[in-house]
Amino acid sequence: MSPAEIVTALWKWTPYLAGGFLWNILISLASVGIGTAAGVLLAVMRTSRRRLLQRIALGLTAAARTLPTFVLLFYFAFLFPVEIEIAGAVYSFPAWIKVSLALGVAVAGFVSDNFTAALLAWRARHHAAALIFVPAWTTYSLMTALASTTGSVVGVDEIVSRSNAVIAALDDTGMMVWVYLYAGAWFTVVCLPLITLSQRFKRRLAARAVEATGRQAERVGEKTT
Amino acid sequence: MPRVLWLALLLFGLAQPAWADRMELIEKRGAVVIGVKTDFPPFGMLDSDGRLVGFEVDMATDFARRLGVSARLVGVSSANRLQKLEDGEIDLLIATLGDTSERRKIATIVEPPYYASGATVLLRPGIEADEWADLRGKTICATQGALYNKPMRQRFMLDLKVYNGTRDPLLALRNGACAGWLYDATAIANEMKHPDLAGYRAPLGQVLTSPWAAAVARSERGGALERAVGDAIADWHREGFLLELERKWAVPPTRFLADARDDWSRKDPAGAWLCQRQPSGEWNAACRNPALLTPSDVNGLYRLALQIREAVKLDITVLYDPYDQWIFLRGILLTLQLVAVIVLGTLVAGAVVGAVLGARIPVVSQAFGAVIAVIRTTPPLLQIYIFYFWLGAVAADHGFEIGGFFAAAMGLALYNGAALGNVLAEAASVARERHSPLGRAGLVETVRLAWEPLVSIAINGVRMTGMASTVAVPEVINAAAGISSEHGNADVMMNLLMVVYVVIILIMMKLFAVLKKGMHRVAG
Repeated sequence: MSPAEIVTALWKWTPYLAGGFLWNILISLASVGIGTAAGVLLAVMRTSRRRLLQRIALGLTAAARTLPTFVLLFYFAFLFPVEIEIAGAVYSFPAWIKVSLALGVAVAGFVSDNFTAALLAWRARHHAAALIFVPAWTTYSLMTALASTTGSVVGVDEIVSRSNAVIAALDDTGMMVWVYLYAGAWFTVVCLPLITLSQRFKRRLAARAVEATGRQAERVGEKTT
Repeated sequence: MPRVLWLALLLFGLAQPAWADRMELIEKRGAVVIGVKTDFPPFGMLDSDGRLVGFEVDMATDFARRLGVSARLVGVSSANRLQKLEDGEIDLLIATLGDTSERRKIATIVEPPYYASGATVLLRPGIEADEWADLRGKTICATQGALYNKPMRQRFMLDLKVYNGTRDPLLALRNGACAGWLYDATAIANEMKHPDLAGYRAPLGQVLTSPWAAAVARSERGGALERAVGDAIADWHREGFLLELERKWAVPPTRFLADARDDWSRKDPAGAWLCQRQPSGEWNAACRNPALLTPSDVNGLYRLALQIREAVKLDITVLYDPYDQWIFLRGILLTLQLVAVIVLGTLVAGAVVGAVLGARIPVVSQAFGAVIAVIRTTPPLLQIYIFYFWLGAVAADHGFEIGGFFAAAMGLALYNGAALGNVLAEAASVARERHSPLGRAGLVETVRLAWEPLVSIAINGVRMTGMASTVAVPEVINAAAGISSEHGNADVMMNLLMVVYVVIILIMMKLFAVLKKGMHRVAG
């Protein structure tokens, strides 16, 4: 296939792939939303004075940190019901929600750890160190968007599923890599500028945080994933 | 960290609701949900507009018309079709399902069958075989969930590589990953029309021919839905509808459909159908498949496992089925190998990336940084696919083979290595402030500063290991999904799977903790 033919074919399927990408965005928003809410709750419990609450929150955080997301995906997809009846009406429990829940577990673990650190830093009046949570959370959320493609494995009609459908429809092995690269480019174009910005923001905050806390490690990476 | 295990056990209790009567649910929603194949031309496939069409799709549509509801079609694969039925995601399955006594235990197979086909093998050019025994020990690609995989492996000692769907094994065959593709004879006859497969042959004929049947959930046995489907299929035989579909979709004519039409159209002297439902609701024995009427024999351990199943509804097949045991153990072993290669690969890739980025060579480090940024923002699943399908095809042209194991390990090591490299470069630039030039003390300081994210990135690699299952590496997820697709025991297999993974991750965390202690000693 000539480069012009490749571009034409990709252009023709762009609206279809874009529709799939919307699913990725929806799943990412849902999982980050669910995970952040749960994680903040865990962090508040961890910093409370009640020993029991602290213990429960620590246990749940350890579980969220340990359970492998990709296995959870299968776990939820296989074992959660497909339709639920509430008050006589039949509601479906679609795969994309199961995927969001599975991805949300890891987000909850991350937020629990990092938001706890932020809360403690804020209380100690290390405001810059506390604010590092914001860029770290942004980066983690974007990584979750990349992970939303695993929804294709349990039948969500997102961009990788649709890439496979496009490859099947084009019926040309040579096009395969171009379709995959094109799908990947969607993520790079959206995520890369945001990650670059938040890393820059983080470096500035970290430099200030070191003055307050004296911990050079504040300047490297995130707390945990 | 026993809390984690405790939580996994807590999740054990999740179950799905059962509908009192599926027919009632179908009427309530005004639609019947039917699972059909998407990758089995001409029975179930996507047309150029992405719509489901085919022989079985026509059957599904006609069935909905008979019920007076709309047809909602759901694409299923050989690996997930029975699970979807058991979960209640679909009401009815019309998806090239062969009727066997094993499957009768996990689903309600509707009689009569509507088609029949067996297995054959499509061989690469240059592979010679006059009989099945000639394939002994050869690597053969196969599709997960196909009923003849197990007997063919056992009978002819085939070395099966099991893939998902029909596209992946076919690509693997063309890339030279295996000598042949074991699959349904009807599907292979259809694939051979493709010009890309000129020179490929299927010389061995059909074996293990089995009738294809529609299926409803296990709980629907004897219900209104089963009856309606059976009546529709009997009518289709009598009206010649299925023979019409055979012509419409250009399926090579089979004896089965012609015979079934004659059998089901036969009448007694009084003018009533010879094949009729008995008061029990079943068709009279003469119209049923006698081979499947006998109950399967069970031995001691099997009986014990069945008792567990009766009592607590858990079917722990890995306890008694040596084949499942072998599949599952091999899966765990492969996962451990993957974990080792991915963690080491991540550390090596991270060190290399960190060194190049940290060296701050003008232009080179910046250009390299851009490449790393693209890798970090490309979904790892896509990276694995690209390595597997594209690099696999390129390598095949040069006489190499890139397997799923290598592709998955490479994709995940690179993705996590890129993240690790960035962290190490960051840490090095902080360490440089006190150690310039960096030297040994500076390197130790770098690793110390980067330790926490380093561990979490490496553990992340372990948690992502399961992605190898998407490119047919028979690791533990693949094994668990395969076993549950044959036995319908997803609850048991998914929990076992989770426990295996959590244990592996805890061991890795422990290893890193030990490593850290060792490092402190080295650093003094």
